[in-house]
Amino acid sequence: MKALAEVLGKWEAVIGLEIHTELTTLETKMFCGCRISRDDPPNTNVCPVCLGMPGALPVPNRKAIESIVMAGIATNCEIMRRSMFYRKHYFYPDMAKNFQTTQGPVAFAMHGHLDLEVDGQGAGERPVWEDVAGDGQKPIVRADDGSYVVPIRIQRIHMEEDAAKMVHVGGSEGRIGGARESLLDYNRCGAPLIELVTEPDLRTPEEARLFMEQLRKVFCTLGISDCSLERGSMRCDGNVSLRRRGAAGLGTKTELKNLNSLRSLHDALAYEICRQAEVLEAGDSVRQETRHWEPSRRRTVVMRVKEVSDDYRFFPDPDLAPFDLSDEFVERCRARVPELPDAKRDRYMAVWGLRRREAVRLAADPDIASFFEGTAKLVEAAVVPTLANVMVNLVAGCKDLTRPQVAAVARLLADDAITFAQAREVLEMVDGTDADPEAIVDERGLRQATDVRALGAIVDEVLARCEDQVRQYHGGNRKVVGFLVGQCMRASGGSGNPKLFNQLLVQRLEE
Amino acid sequence: MTGALDGFSVRQIARGVAAGDFSATEVARASLDAIARRDGEVQAFQQTTEELALAAAGEVDAARAAGKTLPPLAGVPVAFKDNMNLVGTRTTCASRMLASYESAYTATCVQRMLDAGAVPVGKLNMDEFAFGSTTDSSAFHSTNNPWDLTRVPGGSSGGSAAAVASGEVAVALGSDTGGSIRQPAALCGVVGMKPTYGVVSRYGVVAFGSSLDQVGPLGRRVEDVAAALNALTAGGRDRHDAMSQDCAQDYLAHLDDSVEGRTVGVIPALLEAAGLAAEVRTAMRDAEERLAGQGVRVVEVDLPNMASSIAAYYVIASCEAFSNLARFDGVRYGYQEPGHATLARQTSRSRALGFGAEAKRRQMLGAYLLSSEAYDRYYLAAQKVRTLITADYRRAFAQVDAILLPTSPTPAWRHGEISDPAALYLADIYTISNNIVGNCGISVPVCLGSQSGLPIGAQLQGPAFADARLLTLARALERASDMEGRVAPAFAGRGGELA
Repeated sequence: MKALAEVLGKWEAVIGLEIHTELTTLETKMFCGCRISRDDPPNTNVCPVCLGMPGALPVPNRKAIESIVMAGIATNCEIMRRSMFYRKHYFYPDMAKNFQTTQGPVAFAMHGHLDLEVDGQGAGERPVWEDVAGDGQKPIVRADDGSYVVPIRIQRIHMEEDAAKMVHVGGSEGRIGGARESLLDYNRCGAPLIELVTEPDLRTPEEARLFMEQLRKVFCTLGISDCSLERGSMRCDGNVSLRRRGAAGLGTKTELKNLNSLRSLHDALAYEICRQAEVLEAGDSVRQETRHWEPSRRRTVVMRVKEVSDDYRFFPDPDLAPFDLSDEFVERCRARVPELPDAKRDRYMAVWGLRRREAVRLAADPDIASFFEGTAKLVEAAVVPTLANVMVNLVAGCKDLTRPQVAAVARLLADDAITFAQAREVLEMVDGTDADPEAIVDERGLRQATDVRALGAIVDEVLARCEDQVRQYHGGNRKVVGFLVGQCMRASGGSGNPKLFNQLLVQRLEE
Repeated sequence: MTGALDGFSVRQIARGVAAGDFSATEVARASLDAIARRDGEVQAFQQTTEELALAAAGEVDAARAAGKTLPPLAGVPVAFKDNMNLVGTRTTCASRMLASYESAYTATCVQRMLDAGAVPVGKLNMDEFAFGSTTDSSAFHSTNNPWDLTRVPGGSSGGSAAAVASGEVAVALGSDTGGSIRQPAALCGVVGMKPTYGVVSRYGVVAFGSSLDQVGPLGRRVEDVAAALNALTAGGRDRHDAMSQDCAQDYLAHLDDSVEGRTVGVIPALLEAAGLAAEVRTAMRDAEERLAGQGVRVVEVDLPNMASSIAAYYVIASCEAFSNLARFDGVRYGYQEPGHATLARQTSRSRALGFGAEAKRRQMLGAYLLSSEAYDRYYLAAQKVRTLITADYRRAFAQVDAILLPTSPTPAWRHGEISDPAALYLADIYTISNNIVGNCGISVPVCLGSQSGLPIGAQLQGPAFADARLLTLARALERASDMEGRVAPAFAGRGGELA
């Protein structure tokens, strides 16, 4: 098959995502008082309501409504003041009532967007001719390095209930076909689920991956879910179709399932785009179907073909009155939305002058952000950029560091008392202990010599024996200083401060 | 106080038990004895629950012996329509589908009756899943009208009405989706009330039409019905039913208030409608006069869209029924036809054999009406009609406290006399609009038909949450009749003696 880059040079991929998020941090299910827990024995968190016993009635979980309203606010959605639940009918034992309670044409949250930042290599996936956002309005402006920001519109976020877990025993690959028996665990049945549907504004697999990643950060920050892809707390389906470069209208789409990691999401879309291009270029047409991503074989296979669309016989659930959300309710939810990663990133850049890349990384995860900010309080403002560098590049690999330990290392590094490599060593040494980095540095004699006179002697010695390099320098090759710094470091047995060596070398060479 | 139990009112039984005139156990045995002696002919019951009854009665007696204050319905025998869950009983909905279904929990309405001290003596026959107005669609057996065993008791709460009319129990609960309490009450000569939607919890009552269903009591006196409503609403809103409201109040307190100056609306055109039996028309005119005789102002009102209510009702009710009955697939409980290779086949065969003809007809109708091709033309149109009828009632209730109208166009008919489903649907004309709007309604027996000799009921409908005022007007109708407390003559006093 052709490479993605080649395909995207000719074809425009139109991608939309449907992302289900289970509100795992709530205590009870959507319409009954059963506990939400994945780890309990099967069918222990069940009651007449979630088992669909005759006569049982749903009662909505108010906290779940708060969660979805918060999700809507955090994704720039309009919060619909009046919406209702609908019944979606299909006969399958994973839905005890044989209908799913979900929302109709009006969802709790609609018409939102997330601004997607695409940088680095990922930006290259989007062909340069593709320079308008999915809404057809905003031109995409690229920075010098090719990175760009594109708004991805969100059609809606609606509330629904999850289905039971089915385990098919005795068949191949756990599928129902050929299974000897099917086991049902209703613990998950009726768990609160929010489904976010994007507009088909995504154009590359990388954008889809980034959107999912960014949404995950937002929902993590809100604390409405554990947001685990592996455990299926967040599940993503991708819809993708191709159209000729510059064409209007949409091609026939396929729906991709089993995208349970960011990598699968990217790779499955990339595969599917290339597959569709091949089909179209052979003069055939794409069939509307649902396809299953097989990560082990790195391909998608047909799950089912949709010839006619299913008729779910939607109608408003007569057991549940329409929701009229008051201003007070919405404002209360708004007040509960914490600072989101983008805002946090901007604040880090503005307040401490962090570099964008580091600010993004620190702001992404609420736990890391809170550790960073707590530690930043322990150091002078001028040290915070060094702290950010330490956090992003060194702390990530450590298990159990305290804020004072990280603060101390950042300070030592900022004062040029230790090198970056030494900072890494020190952190490894104090990790999981209550040792003081300052003491370790002194004990082990790691503190770098910053005595200008002592270092100056080394510099003089090195310059004396590296005549060639000195000549090169004067010939205009400024890069040769790096080599000379290395020589100085070696001569000092690693204890000299490289920055200082650099300064002194340049000084001497320019004299 | 001694004599046949069927001569006592609910309050008389509770007071007698509290005073020690007789024990709750004696009352329970009397009711069970009456059932044993009468139900062979009436066939109101699906099952009797002697053990539960004697255990509940024993608790009442023990509480009294311990000097505790007894709850308001202490010792009163009650029976429940068989679509109400009660742990320790099957809840069959008179369907093969649920023939062996053991209640997994107890319905709120049932629990509230038990909390008030009532003694559960059994579960009552009904039309399958409450689809019908004869009780003949029960998968197990028909129920006979105690006034004439060759006739239907009405439906779908036909067992509830017949058990009360034959004096087997003092009070019974029914459910009313389009007249299923009021119509059998009228045909059996008892009082049957459909409270305002939301007054009584629906939790644990097998759903038919969720936006229409309402549980209510049937009794031989307005007073008995009010006493039961007290128990059903005590405790306020049910947190298991999102549509329920807090309607706790003393519905007995104002029963005998004067109705002088009250206004009741009548709709003359309705009394001229084809299909209305002459004796029903006469009875309705008498009822008007009796109310007027007590100082009630009778004025004409109009409900111009009432004629559309049957069409709207059968669309909405069928759609909701299709959806509510989808859960009966034989997978987790209920009738399962085994031995099929695929789940789809098992589900479709279990449903084909588990449901009776009327249940299938309504579900197929609902499945069609909700399909995307038909939805706008039918379901959406029906909801618009619903809005229009609601507006009609609002206009009428701006002028009057209640509307007086027949409950059924005719007295009880013979088993099998009407076999065309559409003809049966049309007989619901007087009761259905009340469910569409969610107002309260009550049927009160006013006389025996001058030609048939069968009981005739008059219906009063009131605005939402004016249930107490409706009961006062119903009591006024009852006071002027000679039907209060009547047991069908063939059964009065047969068995059920309190020693």
